[in-house]
Amino acid sequence: MSGIVKDKKYRNRQKIKDAFISSFIGLFAIVWMVPILWTFWTSLRPYDDIIQKGVFSRPDTLNLKNYADAYRLMNIWEYLSNSFIVAIPAVFLTLFFGSLLAFVVTRYSFKFNLYLLLLFTAGNLLPVQLVYAPLFKMYIWVGDLVGNRNILYDSYLGVILIHVALQVGFATFVMSSYMKTIPKEISESAMVDGASVFRHYWNVILPLLRPPLAALSVLMTTWIYNEFFWAIVLIKSDNKRPITSALGRLQGEFVTDFNLLAAGAIMAALPTLIIFFVLKRQFVSGLTLGSTKG
Amino acid sequence: MSNEVKENGVSRRTVLKGAAIGGAGLLGGGTLLSSCGSDEASGPVKFTARTNNETGLKIAQALADAYKAETGIDVTMQGSGDTNAFQDGISQYLQGTPDDAFQWMAGFRTNFRADQGLLVDLSENIANLGDQMPAGFVSGATNPSDGKQYIIPTTWYPWGLHYRKSTMKEIGLDPEGLYNLDDFMKLLEGTKKKGLIGYALGDKGGWEAMGTFSILNVRLNGYKYHIDLLNGRAKWTDQKTIDVFNQFAAMIPYMNDNVLDISWEGMRDLLLQKKCGAILMGSWWANDFKAKSQEDYDDLWIVPFPEINPEFARDTIDAPVDGVCAAANSGNPAGGAAFAEWCGSEAGMLAAQAAGDTSLYANSRLDSSGYDAFNKQKLAVIGEAKNVMNFLDRDCRNDFAGPIVGVQIQNFLKNPKDINKICEETQAAWDALPPLA
Amino acid sequence: MSQSATKIRTRRRRAFTRKDIFTLSLFLGVPTFLHLFWVWIPALATIGLSFTYWNGVHLSDIKWAGLANYNTVFTASPQFYDALLNNAYWLLWFTFIATPLGVLLAYQVDRAIRGHKVYESVYYIPVVLSLAIIGIIWRFMLGPAGLVQVLLGNPGIEDAIPIFGNYSINTYVILSIASWRHIGYIMLLYLAGLKSVDASLREAAVIDGATEWQTFRKIVLPAMAPVNTIIIVITVIESLRAFDLIYILYGTSTGWPILGMLVFVNIYGQAASMLGAAYAVILFLLSIIPIVFYLRTVFKEDIK
Repeated sequence: MSGIVKDKKYRNRQKIKDAFISSFIGLFAIVWMVPILWTFWTSLRPYDDIIQKGVFSRPDTLNLKNYADAYRLMNIWEYLSNSFIVAIPAVFLTLFFGSLLAFVVTRYSFKFNLYLLLLFTAGNLLPVQLVYAPLFKMYIWVGDLVGNRNILYDSYLGVILIHVALQVGFATFVMSSYMKTIPKEISESAMVDGASVFRHYWNVILPLLRPPLAALSVLMTTWIYNEFFWAIVLIKSDNKRPITSALGRLQGEFVTDFNLLAAGAIMAALPTLIIFFVLKRQFVSGLTLGSTKG
Repeated sequence: MSNEVKENGVSRRTVLKGAAIGGAGLLGGGTLLSSCGSDEASGPVKFTARTNNETGLKIAQALADAYKAETGIDVTMQGSGDTNAFQDGISQYLQGTPDDAFQWMAGFRTNFRADQGLLVDLSENIANLGDQMPAGFVSGATNPSDGKQYIIPTTWYPWGLHYRKSTMKEIGLDPEGLYNLDDFMKLLEGTKKKGLIGYALGDKGGWEAMGTFSILNVRLNGYKYHIDLLNGRAKWTDQKTIDVFNQFAAMIPYMNDNVLDISWEGMRDLLLQKKCGAILMGSWWANDFKAKSQEDYDDLWIVPFPEINPEFARDTIDAPVDGVCAAANSGNPAGGAAFAEWCGSEAGMLAAQAAGDTSLYANSRLDSSGYDAFNKQKLAVIGEAKNVMNFLDRDCRNDFAGPIVGVQIQNFLKNPKDINKICEETQAAWDALPPLA
Repeated sequence: MSQSATKIRTRRRRAFTRKDIFTLSLFLGVPTFLHLFWVWIPALATIGLSFTYWNGVHLSDIKWAGLANYNTVFTASPQFYDALLNNAYWLLWFTFIATPLGVLLAYQVDRAIRGHKVYESVYYIPVVLSLAIIGIIWRFMLGPAGLVQVLLGNPGIEDAIPIFGNYSINTYVILSIASWRHIGYIMLLYLAGLKSVDASLREAAVIDGATEWQTFRKIVLPAMAPVNTIIIVITVIESLRAFDLIYILYGTSTGWPILGMLVFVNIYGQAASMLGAAYAVILFLLSIIPIVFYLRTVFKEDIK
């Protein structure tokens, strides 16, 4: 009896405490959103309106004109499509290679399996600064070898491949962790049936990998979309730049027109925000798969 | 090295005279350059403009259009994007698949890349320009290691004290008569009293304040000492160098306190918005004043930085030469060279001028009589100097200018009390530089 | 068990046709080739180049320099120790402020306090934004004419208070911006881990009269051991690899130097010298520690 009373008392106290914690976290959540909301607000107002009346004035007009202007003046569409031309094949290849490796190292016990996994995982964590100077030279040499310098340098392919090379470690790691949870019997029966290695992979394993593939594809699309360093170093032509690395240029060119730049930034952020809100479940599970191992 | 630079300086001064005198006679005699039409240079040309600025891009596009109109050769112009990033990546840019022609800067930045075989030898094109290209610019564009030219000079600009006539009038000062340091300090004091920034400075980019350092050094210690210092023949730990920083520190109370937060654009905007007395900068952004309004442009004025040490008076100025280079690894280097040559010709200059370029041109046919008042004043400011510098980051090794001197000037602005430590570190960094391969 | 394993192995061996071997080598070979040639070989090349003088253009110009570049880094580089210090600040801030806040947030959200669903999303939004966008957003906040400047009553550039170039506050500002992103990241990682902690354990502790802190320390933290390791490693690696945000805020002027930027400025920038390679190797050696720690943790069983 007294236990229940104590419990109730405790619950009440806890309730008050929780309300306090919740409002505290809520307050910070507002602070968290201010920069984004401010950028959004700025993007809705005409430039002259702010110049004449100050930043905090009540706006006469709120419209999407900045978006239309940004779209037109900044070639946003071209940069956005470049982003997807890079991100989609890069994600596809990363997942494909990752699933191949994960399949081999978990279903066949070669001696080097562990070393291979170690190599890929460590490679994923290397500081990229260690890589780019020689990589640039390599791209030029390969280009000269095949008689077209733009085969890797200043090409989508070159950027795609470095993304794949760096990220495949993570994908392999996640998928091999996942595959350890798939009963071996499934594979055994496939092998007993005399299925070839390829059919074993394609017909048996790949369909089972659907959950980590879905999660990883969402996660990696945002990662690769957001990355801008490689495009800055490896892409020379402005019209091939993905949006995140083109933003640097736009920032210089439209430095005085805050509102236009704000609209550009919001448009650049939109794809990842949409992906996040629509596919949040996959997104979260992608992270968990990688970090908590099964 | 110092000899070369000095020689350039002296002879470039003669250029000015040439431009002023010879111009009138040659005016109207401009003909199309015959050399443009050679067979190998007929393909379409790609051209990178070293700017991401609206006015700059407009001018570059005008060059491309005029070239097309004149020769029938297509020119695809693209902006370089962020100019600092373009300058950082120039080595990679030139090793890859660069555009055929690109806007660039004379001096060490060109010569170093020329020595690596990354640029097209433009000596012949310079020769084609003949008397259009004054001898001083030719020597300014000459690479000391092989005596050839790798850049076609197009424009140049003085680094002087810029101010707005109206602002000075309002506070009852007349910088036109300003000659020595006392006058200058009075001006700073006067502007400060009026609640304005006396001497606006930005150094976010890490190079803007090099201009102030250089001018103080040449005013205090002379041109030779400055060039020697940049090339390892004088010591950073020398009291003379320390004095430069001390003088710099004495000006800090009159500066904006967000120096490291604003870049050259911020300096320009402070002047444009009448928030400061004077800025020391090259005049390339005068185009932006003109783009804002003719009134703003007419209000802009420039005078030489004041004398500090009577021994050297006002005998030196930073007046860097910009131009167009052709990249050896491009698809159409000959076309790039021809286009570069055309940019340096009278036709090219006129096209740029028509598009709103207010620069001083490195071409003798565009004589000073065609210049507006501000440009004439710019010429006068340069004309007063005996020695012409190319700006600090073009007058010395690239691995010393940016990563060491630029950084140390920022460190000084961060903490002006650290002068001795900064000078010692800079000297140590110079001593540790590898041999220049 | 071992008997059946052998059995499977023999059976499998027998099942390998020539075609299978070809398929297997392709499956392993292609990704390994890509990874080695795109990541490890350039990394090793950089390590080698750090012992040379080279301007990065012609191979024939490479000259042996021994330890000269390292000597320069340690004795004659005006920014090396500043950069090291800034990386250290970054690490300390993330370890003692940002990461614990993320964990705390995850713990509260996991307890399903009011509004936890909304909070989860709100705190996570910055994580899905590119640092290029984050840089622009924070310029709007802190730069001249930015929201913070206006709130402080300094709307014009002439009296905008110095922030990124103000060395008494810029470290905190940068680290706060970085935390804006990091906290959400850690929160989500931890949240996922917390979901797997047995809820009845916690309830039992509460009924036994344990305070919340005791519950967290005695029950939750130990149960989360694997996640903790990963979070520590992520925190360390992110602190060492920091580059993007600084590049966006300062460009290559190294106004706030960190190791990653010194590599970039010296190896890629105008300087074009292998001093940058030496910086890269130092960064690599520092990263090795958390990488090995990570590998040992996640592959513990496999190594046994």
